[in-house]
Amino acid sequence: MNSRPSYAIGTGLFILLGFAALAYLATQTTSVANVHQGHSYFVKARFSNIGQLKERAPVKIAGVRVGSVQSIQLERGKMDALVTLAIDDKYNDIPDDSGAAIFTSGLLGDQYVGLQPGGSPENLKNGDEIVLTQSAMQLEDLIGKFLVNGGPKSSSAPPSSTPPKPAASGG
Amino acid sequence: MNTLVRRNWLLNGIAQLGECGLFFLDILVALPKSLRHFREICRQVWFVGAMSLTIVMTCGMFVGMVLALQLYYTLSIFGGTAALGTVVALSLFRELGPVVTALLFAGRAGTAVTAEIGLMRATDQIDAMEMMAVDPIAYVVAPRYLAGVIAMPLLMCLFNALGILGGHLVGVTWLGVDNGTFWGNMTSTVDLWKDIIDGVWKSLAFGAVVTLIAVFQGYNAPPTSEGVAYSTTRTVVFSAIVILAVDFVMTAFLT
Amino acid sequence: MSAVTASIDSIAEPLVQVRDLHTRLGGKVIFDGLSLDVPRGSVTAIMGPSGTGKTTLLRHITGQLRAGFDDVSGSVRVAGEDIARLSRAALFALREKIGFLFQNSALLTDFNVFENVAFPLRQHTELPEVLIRDIVLTKLQAVGLRGAANLSPSELSGGMARRVALARAIVFDPMLILYDEPFVGLDPIALNQVLRLIGTLNKTLGITSILVAHELAAVRRVADRVYLIANGKLVAQGAPDELAREDSPWTRQFFGGEADGPVPFHYPAPDYATELGFAR
Repeated sequence: MNSRPSYAIGTGLFILLGFAALAYLATQTTSVANVHQGHSYFVKARFSNIGQLKERAPVKIAGVRVGSVQSIQLERGKMDALVTLAIDDKYNDIPDDSGAAIFTSGLLGDQYVGLQPGGSPENLKNGDEIVLTQSAMQLEDLIGKFLVNGGPKSSSAPPSSTPPKPAASGG
Repeated sequence: MNTLVRRNWLLNGIAQLGECGLFFLDILVALPKSLRHFREICRQVWFVGAMSLTIVMTCGMFVGMVLALQLYYTLSIFGGTAALGTVVALSLFRELGPVVTALLFAGRAGTAVTAEIGLMRATDQIDAMEMMAVDPIAYVVAPRYLAGVIAMPLLMCLFNALGILGGHLVGVTWLGVDNGTFWGNMTSTVDLWKDIIDGVWKSLAFGAVVTLIAVFQGYNAPPTSEGVAYSTTRTVVFSAIVILAVDFVMTAFLT
Repeated sequence: MSAVTASIDSIAEPLVQVRDLHTRLGGKVIFDGLSLDVPRGSVTAIMGPSGTGKTTLLRHITGQLRAGFDDVSGSVRVAGEDIARLSRAALFALREKIGFLFQNSALLTDFNVFENVAFPLRQHTELPEVLIRDIVLTKLQAVGLRGAANLSPSELSGGMARRVALARAIVFDPMLILYDEPFVGLDPIALNQVLRLIGTLNKTLGITSILVAHELAAVRRVADRVYLIANGKLVAQGAPDELAREDSPWTRQFFGGEADGPVPFHYPAPDYATELGFAR
């Protein structure tokens, strides 16, 4: 009779421990925590090609994560990708003429959206659209350019050195 | 002669499968009744869970450490050690966590359940319950079955958590992968539903089949000491085969 | 209606009626037309050589083996009810009125003595804890083990375990107790204690008892009637003392303790001389 509370407590502890482990896995090893961390505002950007970009990919400014990709849709009629970015509320001072480009971390790594701050006094607000975008660099394109131009000097221009060109439909 | 033996062997196998299926139905029928024995279910969750806790946690730690070590050397060939956290986490969540936990569970808790029920059979305790008008399926088998199904995913989560920590210990503390890179790449790639929850489904399925095998072998063990020993061995062998087969099928369907 | 007929019949009708029972288990004939009656309020002993299915007979009475489900024909009636026709629920209800003492006591190893005796009460009733405690202690007192209530089954000697099992068997005040070899492996003191309990339960509570046993001396002291079963049939019956005096090959061998007789000393074998290679 005395054993009843002890195993009841033990069972309870065991179940709590199991769920704690699940919670730990869910919050520490996935991006769930990042998604629900604080409030964010949404900004749109159109790209003619998003390459391997996926939902929940990070959005970075100067390499610092400021948000994530909320959704990716094909925009009917214009046939380009409409990417919605969720940016944390605390980064509410991004100029509204900033550019967005899709980068690859490392040679074969995941792709992310990099924001290139502009100089406008106005800041991006919920529902705004980033007009200046640069699509993902396709490895095939790079190789093609390399072969055509015959040299590495113009093979891949880093986006920071040239002004981001608007996407085909940007205007 | 040889074909006759082989046919018997095949028929016996099919008959065993059929009996096992019918036994599963018996358990399902008895489940509502067995919910009355809530205290017994708690006790069994404690037994099968606590029984396997140490082994599952220790092995989880070591599996995580070995994974990190092996993958570090492989990834460093491609200069991709930044992906260490991601690869460790994905291999654990999607495959190793559910499968290794189920194998350990079969070896630790499955055999214990088989031996316990087999001994209850051998010492007439099962018959005694029938004589006391207590349905042994509802009182003995179903609570253990439920307990196994409940405990398995919980153990799997613990295994994974310890595996991640073990991988972190080796990858970050010993091999010098950057802490932020380790976690950052992991969190950006691992998906709660596609990776972790799919692992939980797998684990639930393993819990269901491993515990079914364990209680079936125990309940039908010949009532002698050799019989119980034999059934215990069969629990481990059948469980291992079925776990890996079910794993293949589920992986094919889930991904 | 059946309740009325049962109460009218109950005076004359035997509690257990076995009629023309044929049983085969695993291809082996166990019973080949067995018929016997167990009168109410009696202590009836079933005796016979090993392997004649005495325990199987008990399993028939409890409905663990039934006509229609297994390779069985014939009828077994307990308290006027045909065991083979009962639903599982009705069978379970009947079993609550039958106590069964297993050869190896079959105490539940998970529980202590008290909880073992309380087990049927907890499973079948919603009695308050105080009442359960009183009933259990009464039954334990009856078998002389009230002091052992907190021991676990592994701490009990064989005789004590059997007495606890007996306390558990009588916890619902059954109408019938089946004893499966209750004297096996007991020292003379424990044997006498169990023997006394069987007698007391029968005399004071009027519980009908069926006893499967080999110990002739013990059976003589407690049984009103003995059935001797061999080769699937009833070969002799009567009060123990009459039976011991009866001069048939079976009774001579069984009660006289002869090594050879209807049950041969030698297991069936080919001719000895032939097998050794001496015969021409």
